Amino acid sequence: MSTRITRRDVLLAGAGLAGACALPRFAFAQDAGTFRVGTLCPITGAGSPYGSGMQKSIEAMVAEVNAAGGAGGRKLELFSEDGQTKPDAAVLAAKKLIEVNKVQAIFGTWSSGVTLAVMPLTDAAGIIEMNCSGAPVISTQDTKDLVWRFQATNDRFGQAFAVIAEKRGYKRPATMAFNNASGIGNAEGFTKAWTKKGGKVVASVVYEPNRASYRTELQQVLAQKPDVIVTGSYLPDSTILLREWYQTGQPVQWIMPGWAANPDLVKAVGNEVIDGLISVDSVSNENAASFKAYSDAYQKATGKPGSTNVYAAMTWDMVMCLALAMEAAGPGASVTQINAKIRDVANPDGTKVYTFAEGKKLLGEKKKINYEGASSRLDFDKYGDVTPDFGVFVVEKGQLVRRDVISI
Amino acid sequence: MTITLVDVVNLLINGSIDGLLIALPTLALTLVMGIARFPNAATGDYMTVSAYAGIGVQALGGASILLAGLGAIAAGAAISVVFYLWVFRALRGRAPVASLVASIGVAFFGRSMLTLFAGHDQHTFSIPLVRAWNFGGIRVLPTDLYVAGVALLVMLLLFALLHLTPIGRQMRAIADNPDLARACGIRSGRVLLALWATVGALCALGGMMFGIKAVVSPELGWELLIPAFAAMIVGGIGSPIGAVAGAVLLGIASELSVPLVGPSYKIAVAFVLLLLVLLLRPRGLFGKAIAAR
Repeated sequence: MSTRITRRDVLLAGAGLAGACALPRFAFAQDAGTFRVGTLCPITGAGSPYGSGMQKSIEAMVAEVNAAGGAGGRKLELFSEDGQTKPDAAVLAAKKLIEVNKVQAIFGTWSSGVTLAVMPLTDAAGIIEMNCSGAPVISTQDTKDLVWRFQATNDRFGQAFAVIAEKRGYKRPATMAFNNASGIGNAEGFTKAWTKKGGKVVASVVYEPNRASYRTELQQVLAQKPDVIVTGSYLPDSTILLREWYQTGQPVQWIMPGWAANPDLVKAVGNEVIDGLISVDSVSNENAASFKAYSDAYQKATGKPGSTNVYAAMTWDMVMCLALAMEAAGPGASVTQINAKIRDVANPDGTKVYTFAEGKKLLGEKKKINYEGASSRLDFDKYGDVTPDFGVFVVEKGQLVRRDVISI
Repeated sequence: MTITLVDVVNLLINGSIDGLLIALPTLALTLVMGIARFPNAATGDYMTVSAYAGIGVQALGGASILLAGLGAIAAGAAISVVFYLWVFRALRGRAPVASLVASIGVAFFGRSMLTLFAGHDQHTFSIPLVRAWNFGGIRVLPTDLYVAGVALLVMLLLFALLHLTPIGRQMRAIADNPDLARACGIRSGRVLLALWATVGALCALGGMMFGIKAVVSPELGWELLIPAFAAMIVGGIGSPIGAVAGAVLLGIASELSVPLVGPSYKIAVAFVLLLLVLLLRPRGLFGKAIAAR
């Protein structure tokens, strides 16, 4: 190969260099008329049954905000990445969203492991993070009050489990937890609430993800002869757990969180295995007009009713809260100013509103508003957490039938 | 908690089944390592794609699990041969790292194509669930026996192929010394085609067995890659018998450690064992010592 440099090479290199210099300026140009937001929904991994729906719900709400003329004089511009339900992958994606796309809010982190991994990045960048995660530590690590949680904490789930177990007269509970902040949070929340009631947990096991079998773990728990097993689990591992438990032939009741015990689990293990299992989930704010609006949009985007994906209702509310806060903060507000308005537009004292257009109109008239969410009443406490109600679903003939709603 | 003999036997059974499951992809890894001479990171995704093919066959018309298995094997062999002809053949003679990096690309490509068409939902093989046979507390699952039986049969067939057939002898010759093999008139192209088809079939069976026991999801095979690598290293790189021994040993060791260290650390125990083997016998249990020149 010849090493001579021709004029053509020099020209080419020069053009390339000029292009490279110009490129970042194009990419990073922050248009005054837009507010950049990113999504990190769990399109793949354990959260995949919900991720695509969450994403579509965000897209629909962003379109609604923009169709209403934007919020605070700005249109929302969406950048989407797949959080993969994996902390390492989500961190890379979050870096890209923050550093390359310059987003000012990130929506839709689902697993607690992912949220906990992404939080330091969003905090350092001073941008808003909105999630559907349950791990209790998220509340205390959110030192700048930039993190907003739209799902009940695992601690609250654990409390709900204890209320249900007591109501149904169980005496010898055991816990099984997937080894992450959420799974363990569920189990510990239950244990805390149960021992407070004067009860004793006979066995507790923490198990690892992605195994072909959980027989050894089951063997340890079943040896203590529990009458109910409470889990902090996900769909794939719950499938394996239930199939292997059924094959052992030892009778026991199961109480599982709704993100694991859903129609997919029924399909995966069969009616006979799962009959009678109790699934507990936060219930969407189903009687509110905001839920109806969300559900219609969800039906249009996915062909399924909105009630099939509680997390999509949460992501719908995320965009809504941010947009209303932007509107309340006024044109050109900084992220901090917008963030400070989130409680103002969502918490009580103020006219209840259910859609963005309604809220925008009232805010324009300088009135105080209280957005009632599609996912819950959406009243944020001092940690930025909400307290939804919990539905108790029992699997009967292959259907998840709601038997009870409890408040904690 | 007191540990009884019954518990230990149960743990031994669990560990052996786990090990036999991992042994299939480990064999696929070690064969490629020995003959094509690079760590094939796409092994796991060949498993995933084949398991989905099995699910697809079963979904087509409630076909039997046997037909699903045959479909998976056909798909596994096909994808493996296609990627050899398309990617790995062009990289022969280059440094192994080129093929390694390419295989990571193949893995991503395979998985992404799969999720594009099949989505991200989990699937299960519909097999009847049967209660375990209980021998005084020692529980044996018929499904486990079935999985273990198939795995053992496949290994037997593989060893017969390697040691009793001309193509197997040629594979071993190339593994021993590629230059000498060529000088003896062994046409490596044909041998490599046979190798990749075999590797694909092994991955397919591994994917099927894992899918039957657990669930079929897009990450099925990728997640098994690290345990399979560990088993290959423990057993000795390039040694088929070592692959099986390594996988079963790691499986049993991690299950047996549960009463002592708890289930959270059983995976770590497998890797401690790996470190010990590397310290005391760097070539692995059945590996050949290779002097650096």
